[in-house]
Amino acid sequence: MTIEDPHPSDREMLLAADGELSSRRAASIRAHFAGCWACRTRMSELETTIRDFIELHRSGLDPLLPAAAGPRALLKAQLAELAAGDHGESPLRLFPLSFTRTVAVCLSTAVLLAAAAMLLTRSSRSLRESAAIPVANLTPGATRPATREDVCRSEPDPNVRLVPASVRQKVFESYGLSNARPDAYEVDYLITPELGGSGDIRNLWPQPYSHTVWNAHVKDDLEDRLHEMVCDGTLDLHTAQHDIASNWIAAYKKYFHADKPIAR
Amino acid sequence: MPDTPPDSNSIELPLAVRPAAAFSSPRPDLESEVISLFDQLRNPLLRYVLSIGIRVQEAEEVVQDVFLSLYRHVRIGRSRSNLRGWVFRVAHNLALKQRESSRRHLGNADGSGDVAERRYDPAPDPEEQMVRSERRKHLLAVLRALPEQDRACLYLRAEGLRYREIADVLEMSLGSVSISLTRSLARLQRADGATGAWQ
Repeated sequence: MTIEDPHPSDREMLLAADGELSSRRAASIRAHFAGCWACRTRMSELETTIRDFIELHRSGLDPLLPAAAGPRALLKAQLAELAAGDHGESPLRLFPLSFTRTVAVCLSTAVLLAAAAMLLTRSSRSLRESAAIPVANLTPGATRPATREDVCRSEPDPNVRLVPASVRQKVFESYGLSNARPDAYEVDYLITPELGGSGDIRNLWPQPYSHTVWNAHVKDDLEDRLHEMVCDGTLDLHTAQHDIASNWIAAYKKYFHADKPIAR
Repeated sequence: MPDTPPDSNSIELPLAVRPAAAFSSPRPDLESEVISLFDQLRNPLLRYVLSIGIRVQEAEEVVQDVFLSLYRHVRIGRSRSNLRGWVFRVAHNLALKQRESSRRHLGNADGSGDVAERRYDPAPDPEEQMVRSERRKHLLAVLRALPEQDRACLYLRAEGLRYREIADVLEMSLGSVSISLTRSLARLQRADGATGAWQ
């Protein structure tokens, strides 16, 4: 140890450990460590503290992280939705920026901004709707063998809608919602049992009660409407099953002749 | 620190810039690259936004919004440099907004409650439940007593961000990041019972 080789400061030691120093200064500190037990001890204590912090941080949070499969599938669906409705998202980029068109660009800016705002609004609405629709590869819909007469019996089986707790848990897990508040969602049948839907997990999904305009209460109204139509003979059972499984929001708009939910 | 990818100063999507004529065609490659980045960063992001003090479900929604924003960001030709820093910055801002919104909501509902104190679902504080020793309790107490910005620096570093990225996310200087981390680790070390000169 020499006067020209003083102990590095705490801050420098951390910078060195994190690889944030210049290579020259880092080499100098490494050389110092080679001859200084005290500094190596301090560095070891630093690493111990970092390790303890990481252990505390991870042990508190990692057990709470839901499985990634559900959120990943949801993101894919939403990206696909964005891509499908995304035809030249930035019209300003397509405008030539040559001098001769500068004036035209200026005059057009207000119109283009208005168009962009409309695109954004439409995209947001579309996303809100997609969040209310189950992820197709997790919940494609499934039916049980049932005829029109079966589903239109005057006394429906009161147990048919019960979803066992274990199945509910599996549904939440598959959608990455293991820690969601149960009262915020209805584990719903995509094809309702009153229309011949089965209790298979492929026919179940966690539908938010209030997260979106297109919530569980609205879908309940559609199910009632379709059941009435099937039973009064104005709609065949297979079509009802197909339409509600394909896109229940589109089915609502079709059978209620409305673009948004009708006030209850 | 663990989980720091090698050579991870920045993450860039490798897509080449497309000609304008291709803008109207679908870009399945961009979607898959965003999904790939989601696979890499989803858990670190979730941990970080949870540490800010929002619920698990809210954190999951924030992360979804972050990657949808990332898609739009790249789609309209914005910079692809240091996307990891960009993603954490957006997540940080969204999580703060969410926390404020939840606080207002809770305030309206029952007039009480610090969301940060109930950040971990489903129990009020499972992290506390997991503390098995006095030493860890002390660490946790010191961690919670740190200024919020110091905690954020620690959490971001714990998720592998370099000092420059942390400075960008938290809008502070590089030197301030270094000072913050040094100060926080010194405090944690004192709680950890070390007797060395590190302080």
